[in-house]
Amino acid sequence: MVSLNPVRILKNEAEEDKAELARMSSFIGAIAIGELVKSTLGPKGMDKILISSGRSYGQVEVTNDGATILKSVGVDNPAAKILVDMSKVQDDEVGDGTTSVTVLASELLKEAEKLVEQKIHPQVIIAGWRKAVDVARKALRDFSMDNSADSERFREDLMNIARTTLSSKILSQHKEYFSKLAVDAILRLKGSGELSAIQIIKKKGGTLEESFLDEGFLLDKKVGVHQPKRIENAKILIANTPMDTDKIKVFGSHIKVDSMAKIAELESAEKEKMKDKVGKILKHNCNVFINRQLIYNYPEQLFADAGVAAIEHADFDGIERLALVTGGEIVSTFDNPELVKLGTCDVIEEIMIGEDLLLRFSGVALGEACTIVIRGATQQIIDEADRSLHDALCVLAATVKESRIVYGGGCSEMLMAVAVQEAAAKTPGKEAVAMEAFARALQQLPTIIADNAGYDSAELVSELRAAHANDSKSTKGLNMDKGEVGDMKTLGITESFVVKRQVLLSASEAAEMILRVDNIIKAAPRRRVEDRGHC
Amino acid sequence: MTAPAAGGDATKLRSVVYKDKSKPAEVRLSNINAAKAVSDAIRTSLGPRGMDKMIQSGNGEVTITNDGATILKQMNVIHPAAKMLVELSRAQDIEAGDGTTTVVVIAGALLQAAEKLLSRGIHPTAISESFQRAATHAVKILTSISTPIELNNREQLVRSASTSLNSKVVSQQSSQLAPLAVDAVFKVMQPGQERIDLNDIKVIKQLGGTTEDTELIDGIVFPHRTANVNGPKRIEKAKIGFIQFCISAPKTDMDHNVIVSDYAAMDRVLKEERTYILNIIKQIKKSGCNVLLIQKSILRDAVSDLALHFLDKIKVMVIKDVEREDVEFVCKSLSCRPIASLDHFTAENLSHAELVEEVGVGSSRMVKITGAQNAGKTVTLLVRGSNKLVLEEAHRSIHDALCVIRCLVRKKALIAGGGAPEIELALKLYSLADKMDGLDAICLKAYANALEVVPFTLAENAGLNAIQTVTELRSRHAKGETSAGINVRKGTITDILEEHVVQPLLVSISAVNLATETVRSILKIDDIVNTVT
Repeated sequence: MVSLNPVRILKNEAEEDKAELARMSSFIGAIAIGELVKSTLGPKGMDKILISSGRSYGQVEVTNDGATILKSVGVDNPAAKILVDMSKVQDDEVGDGTTSVTVLASELLKEAEKLVEQKIHPQVIIAGWRKAVDVARKALRDFSMDNSADSERFREDLMNIARTTLSSKILSQHKEYFSKLAVDAILRLKGSGELSAIQIIKKKGGTLEESFLDEGFLLDKKVGVHQPKRIENAKILIANTPMDTDKIKVFGSHIKVDSMAKIAELESAEKEKMKDKVGKILKHNCNVFINRQLIYNYPEQLFADAGVAAIEHADFDGIERLALVTGGEIVSTFDNPELVKLGTCDVIEEIMIGEDLLLRFSGVALGEACTIVIRGATQQIIDEADRSLHDALCVLAATVKESRIVYGGGCSEMLMAVAVQEAAAKTPGKEAVAMEAFARALQQLPTIIADNAGYDSAELVSELRAAHANDSKSTKGLNMDKGEVGDMKTLGITESFVVKRQVLLSASEAAEMILRVDNIIKAAPRRRVEDRGHC
Repeated sequence: MTAPAAGGDATKLRSVVYKDKSKPAEVRLSNINAAKAVSDAIRTSLGPRGMDKMIQSGNGEVTITNDGATILKQMNVIHPAAKMLVELSRAQDIEAGDGTTTVVVIAGALLQAAEKLLSRGIHPTAISESFQRAATHAVKILTSISTPIELNNREQLVRSASTSLNSKVVSQQSSQLAPLAVDAVFKVMQPGQERIDLNDIKVIKQLGGTTEDTELIDGIVFPHRTANVNGPKRIEKAKIGFIQFCISAPKTDMDHNVIVSDYAAMDRVLKEERTYILNIIKQIKKSGCNVLLIQKSILRDAVSDLALHFLDKIKVMVIKDVEREDVEFVCKSLSCRPIASLDHFTAENLSHAELVEEVGVGSSRMVKITGAQNAGKTVTLLVRGSNKLVLEEAHRSIHDALCVIRCLVRKKALIAGGGAPEIELALKLYSLADKMDGLDAICLKAYANALEVVPFTLAENAGLNAIQTVTELRSRHAKGETSAGINVRKGTITDILEEHVVQPLLVSISAVNLATETVRSILKIDDIVNTVT
């Protein structure tokens, strides 16, 4: 009887999907992810509301950023997970193009599905795609241009890139303003690309246009009572040390005494200890003391006596950034004042934003540091503005490093598609079919952009393709304000070469990886065994 | 749409026909409906004859209010789009402090307009962009019809404050509260500076009496009695010390046990405690201090009974339980510095005040400090009310009034109230739309129409014939009477400036801007995604 049952190799709860089934499951998963973010693509793309159902139940986020959407939706499908990861990598790597990369990958898989149905082996498709990627990359590289030698034009390029990135976001109406903000901030960095020197502070109230760039560093804290509110030539000691009491950190330490006088003595000894500590700190010859932890009343008063501004409870992020921009280091012991590097800045003063008082450190050692203050009507708007601005800053930083640019608005995609198609025509064998499929997937991007804006995509894309087929150096793309084919050069729709290249490479790599899969094995979940350990 | 000749008819067609997929359309509709529901809920509390809402919170507490921001905050909405409107009213509260109901009503009306435009097949992004342009125009128009004011024109300021108060529960007392609000703001205003920190105005609520008993005190008030048992209740020429340490048995930061092994030891412990406290008291006496403020301590008794007894004897008034957050305010108003250790308790660290006394208000008592030497620019508003609900509402109303004055200091311009600016906006935008072509014209018209919701609701809430009133208002404005508005008290249309119904320009501008911004972001949403985090 045993021989009649199918032979079980895997564990009881493990699952296995084979060949057709496996492929179908990954296609479906990846395509579903593509469909999810598709409508956010392009200048007229829509936003999504994200509702948390986990720990922060009921919290609402409104976003247009592909990476943020994908990060938040929990996926179970392995292929879908690959796409989500890919968009995350794109976000880390270049910051923008997170939606494009996902959509391109899912379009590639859609094409692959059709080819597999025609009994073309996945390996053949992959070989064709590889050729296509090479051709496309070469076309993109040939097409790209570099204006970094001319600083005037380079700035104009950066402005254009920022505008193009922001035009698909909530900031699109204020893109002029925010592009300038972002470009100013990036140019202050002088090519270092150290994005952590740009601090973004979000303050509710006001409108988006009231956002501003502030030179220097803002800290959302107050100085202690009766201490100087304005300090020039500040020497800043940044510390992470308990300023309440130096407790003995042994659990259950007790003091046993037999008289009140001794307790009073102990109390004053504790005070004395604190006084010593403050004395040690003051030996550093600083006039600003910033601590990550609380500062109690007594040391606060001692600092006030010495005319030192003491700021308590600065958050960890703030402290690290402060250490970075002022050039100081974070200290926890104060025995060797000569070894400690103090931070410096020209002026510390209080400024008012909305209803809150903030401290401004201007003239900091790291001259490139600056702060962008974002104002907006609601928390959602501010958060989304923050994400958009972050995208723009990332792209700009990437462009400063690799200064080549390409044209956007579907122009470079169509250019690559046409190049791939031409190459396909010259390639013998089945691979040519796969290459054609690749070209079709590339063309989907302008199609979706046009669809999202509610235009007749078939008409527009065919016009665009014709323009590119007739002239290999054409700069024609989609003008989404008017719904027609226009010259991207005159419209100034520019994108970073790095972003585009990254989109092409990661998308094809991810699609290839998913296509190679012919078997999905789900491991049996580990059994929960009763815990026999001692409690 | 100014399509180039090459595009021809095809382009025109393309841009108008927008076929939405079914899910995005549904999501959008649900968002719009939810937001409209929110705005409908608070619509009836707009204007001087607006009604109040009674809100019962989960734990059974009741709030009665007319303040849009408060209603929405308490409503606990779940729908994500509705939440955005709640945020919107909060933003208006932060930005302008007043007009929190107006802003939500405008947003609701704009969404309704957008819904109609969507059903005509216009792309949401196009609507959103047109609305933004309309808002820019609207701000320009509002600025052009405003009248600049001088800050020393107290009359004007009082009028705008009372306009804000008129729609609240305390409208009967508006003639009395409005000057108070103006005076309070003027007291804390730094000469030459245009920023006003409302934290410098401390509002203290005290149950008992009526709202009319609300007063402005140039000094500070502690809303509890002195800690003394039979110490002095009134001290002239006070020397005030503000301590942050405790006058009670010593305590270390570590746990400690006092081991008492026999009777003699117990006696000694008690004696030592006594000498310890006496030592502190002596130091206090030596400095000549006669009023002692003590910061609240969570670790131990701020002042023990024994210490109180001694302090009574040396005739020092003791006020305990000053919160740590209030330290800054107290220091600013008395220009003193907090003293955190006994060795700093010397005469030069004390501050002086003319009078410190405990006064009885209603059944409760409180301590007033007035006439502080070189006092900082702070002021205390003592709000009274016959029951807790009225008191809370009076507090919120006064906050609104203070914000109105602050707006005027920030942007020194006034516009008429009573629906006049909205109807003027609607008319001007309408005529602007007539000169345009393409989608913008349609969207601008819809935007203009939506703004009429404010006078419409005003009239409705006042029990007037809304259609009659609004159309009459419109025709009066068309004839060039830019300040004609709804006179709710008389139930007719009059020149609203003559009735002294005015509001700050900033309130209206921020209402238009914020409402448009929120509507735009709601329009752009096409999907609601549940997330795991």
